[in-house]
Amino acid sequence: MTMRVISLNVNGTDHSVQVGPLDRLIDVLRDQLGFKSVKEGCSTGDCGICAVMVDGKLVNSCLMLASQCDGRRVLTLEGLVNDLSMKRLQGSFIANNAAQCGFCTPAMLMASWDLARHKADPSEDEIKVAISGILCRCTGYYQIIDSVREGCKRGTT
Amino acid sequence: MQEGDHLSEQISQLLDSLREKAERGELLYIGENIVRVDSLEKVLGNPVYTADLIPKGTIYAKLFHSSIPHGVIKVMEIGGAKTHPGVLGVMTHKDIPGLNESSAVLPDRQLFADSMVRSTADILGAVVAETASAAADAAARIKVEYEPLPAIFDPLEALKPDAIKIHPKGNIARQMKIRKGNVDEGFAKSHLILEKTYRTQFQDATPLEPEMGLAIPEDGGVRVIGSMQSPHHTQAAVAKVLGLPQEKVRVIQAVTGGAFGPKSDETPYDVCSTAALAAVKYRRPVFCGMDREDSMVMHTKRHPFVISHKTGVTSDGMLLADESRIVGDTGAYASLGVFVVVRATFHTVGAYEVPNVKADSYLVYTDNTYAGSLRGFGGPQAIFAIESQMEELARRLGIDPLEFRLRNMLVPGKRNATSAVMDSSCGLPQCVEKVVASSRYREKAARYRNQTGSVRRGLGLALLMHGNSLGPEGNDYGAVHIEILSDGTVSVGSGLTEYGTGAVSGMMQVASSVLGVPLSRFKLERPDTSKHRESGPTVASRVIVIGGNASKLAAEKLREKILPLAAEMLKTERNRVAIADGVAFDRLNLSATLDWDDLVKEAYRRGIGLREEGYFMAPQAPWDQEIGQGTPYLQYTWGALVAEVEVDMDTGYYKVVGVHAAYDVGKAVNPAGVLGQIYGGTVQGLGYAMMEELIHREGSVVNPNLGDYYIPTSMDIPQEFKAFIVEVPGPLGPFGAKIIAEPPIVLPGPALRNAVLNATGVSVDDLPVTSEKVLMGMRPQQAPRTA
Repeated sequence: MTMRVISLNVNGTDHSVQVGPLDRLIDVLRDQLGFKSVKEGCSTGDCGICAVMVDGKLVNSCLMLASQCDGRRVLTLEGLVNDLSMKRLQGSFIANNAAQCGFCTPAMLMASWDLARHKADPSEDEIKVAISGILCRCTGYYQIIDSVREGCKRGTT
Repeated sequence: MQEGDHLSEQISQLLDSLREKAERGELLYIGENIVRVDSLEKVLGNPVYTADLIPKGTIYAKLFHSSIPHGVIKVMEIGGAKTHPGVLGVMTHKDIPGLNESSAVLPDRQLFADSMVRSTADILGAVVAETASAAADAAARIKVEYEPLPAIFDPLEALKPDAIKIHPKGNIARQMKIRKGNVDEGFAKSHLILEKTYRTQFQDATPLEPEMGLAIPEDGGVRVIGSMQSPHHTQAAVAKVLGLPQEKVRVIQAVTGGAFGPKSDETPYDVCSTAALAAVKYRRPVFCGMDREDSMVMHTKRHPFVISHKTGVTSDGMLLADESRIVGDTGAYASLGVFVVVRATFHTVGAYEVPNVKADSYLVYTDNTYAGSLRGFGGPQAIFAIESQMEELARRLGIDPLEFRLRNMLVPGKRNATSAVMDSSCGLPQCVEKVVASSRYREKAARYRNQTGSVRRGLGLALLMHGNSLGPEGNDYGAVHIEILSDGTVSVGSGLTEYGTGAVSGMMQVASSVLGVPLSRFKLERPDTSKHRESGPTVASRVIVIGGNASKLAAEKLREKILPLAAEMLKTERNRVAIADGVAFDRLNLSATLDWDDLVKEAYRRGIGLREEGYFMAPQAPWDQEIGQGTPYLQYTWGALVAEVEVDMDTGYYKVVGVHAAYDVGKAVNPAGVLGQIYGGTVQGLGYAMMEELIHREGSVVNPNLGDYYIPTSMDIPQEFKAFIVEVPGPLGPFGAKIIAEPPIVLPGPALRNAVLNATGVSVDDLPVTSEKVLMGMRPQQAPRTA
């Protein structure tokens, strides 16, 4: 199989990586570049816990080929540790007991951050839709929804 | 303001709050929504799970399994896999130096089947390769030739005397019975006798992280890091397969991404043993992880049950007798199912007093994939059956289902199915009161009685009794050690594990309360068999009760060492010293204070050892095996749930518009954590009730993926969810705490089923309650679904 070199920007840093035709974005992020917040739960695009931002859109990184990402900008949770909006959400997740096993938490935070960019005060339905592509088996979603509502508010943090 | 004044004011406030709490009989921190010790690493997405810890140079093992449900293995062609690029080798039963066994209770399952397969979940071996993808590709090239044998997929067929034997000793893995009073006398006096049969389906637990094991060769043995509930049991299982003494196998539980039961069962043994075998053979780190399909085929599921009840009642609605036959399909192997059927049997008449009870239960082998431990552990099946039966009885008697339940439910002084007398710790009436008021049950039930429109509503009620402690499942003990480090950090370690519920944080919160040091100063050690004592399995939601007591004992021992030192340093009497929020002070002289860190430093300087262990063993829970009578559980969690549904009468489509749930947890150590268990367990229970069904066709799982096996998303949860915590202290747990992680999955099934019945008149007696079944029930002229 032919390997090729692609360049992609992850969390603001340019990387050149060698990829095969079947390598997925999640493989490059986790195995080659070490962004372990990206989780694999089903490998078929059903659970959503591998969600990352690619050129400003939330995608399942298990369904995207690495070679499709040549020249694109990728954002993972690691790249948002100093982002004020993300910090608010993280604080709210902690305060509201929204992380139980924690395996869906990075993707839930990415989806919530994406929502927070567009909505300062989302309704419950908007929050449900925003996180609907990501499964959580522990929380029943209620404490996550509370966290997102609170975390989206641009308060005095 | 001077520093000293500020501190003194702070202490004064603390003291006030301490006094207030003491007056209320409460302790510091208990009952507060405290931030879990593991929250931060989770919201930061830190690399703490097994697959995040794979070191460079690791090779990969991919399990492969049977493709037929029952047969003799004739030829296994592994040549094509062996020569695949990147492959190092293929391991089969021939590569096992120790005992080829991977079983939790009965020695009925091999790690790698050597001559015969009994289900499509039977593992045949593993391909080991340089990369995960090479291992997976090569595994697909393995060809196995079988001589097929007749197979049984229906547990009732397997029970017939002439059925083929799946195991040499026959098809019954475990039998159990209850004999209380005399049911024949009860039936003779009954005004009405109802006989009905209920069925439940295979449920997949679906922890979002599937089973994972990583093994690293070291010191003539192996270090194993994995996703699991019970590291010491995994250690024993791996050592057995490797033929090594247990101390040569060190098992560390990585942060675990959900578990729900299967990770206390045999599957963690499979991945960890396979990784360890390959690590020893190839002398390299080996990762053996299941993908979703592997997991859904090869791990244990919730047992399908067939439960028949024959129940007699008086004309005024008093239960007189109940006879049940309980058959659990454990698939090809018993696993922890031997205890699942026992728990189901003890709960066969649920939260009601029935003077005469007869139950006969059987855990039966079939050629389906195997079932085992899953949240609720037999409770969801048993309570679905009895709560459905209660609703049917009430309707036939013409008594409101709530009134019928109120007449028969367990209250202090009444006796449950095992004849255990309920004491004052029974908080069931309070739970019922909460949900009836919150749902406006009486008003709505009256309003919904005579609906005629195409969209109708219904209410469904279900009550819960859930036995706490392992009881019949074994000695219920746990050890927790606490070490105060020189910088004042309180380090807590145990063989009991955290996998999402927050119970370990709760257990630490208990110690935090005793020591007077906030949980933010605490650190959780990773459970490690080389450091922590065997503490039994982390199952049955027992961490808060057993671990909480052990943690309390350890903290009390440390407090006995610290308080005299603090008294000396504060120049006061020992009994005048208190510690709150990490400050020791003299209760009667507020200006005398001492910082926790200085206290710890002085202890270190003087060589006072600050490491203590707490060990707690629950009292014996005696019961008579012959008649199933006695006290198999030391306390009970109580609950009540009202579900409200709205049904489209033209299509059968329905949605749950409201859930009102109340649980008596004795004492909520961390109320936000308790609510998290109620919400999460209820939604998982609604999945079980509404949509989840792992379908077997001729023994093969046809929907082993999350595209075809649905679990609830955020769009599926009820708009209204009112959860209530009731606190009637129990005799066993610290500060009266009762368990809560498992119980909330039990009630949604029967409550939803009863709500649909009350809205439509359709009795769906087999879970899940799909819209299709509702529609078919409303159109009796059309043939019902047979598959």
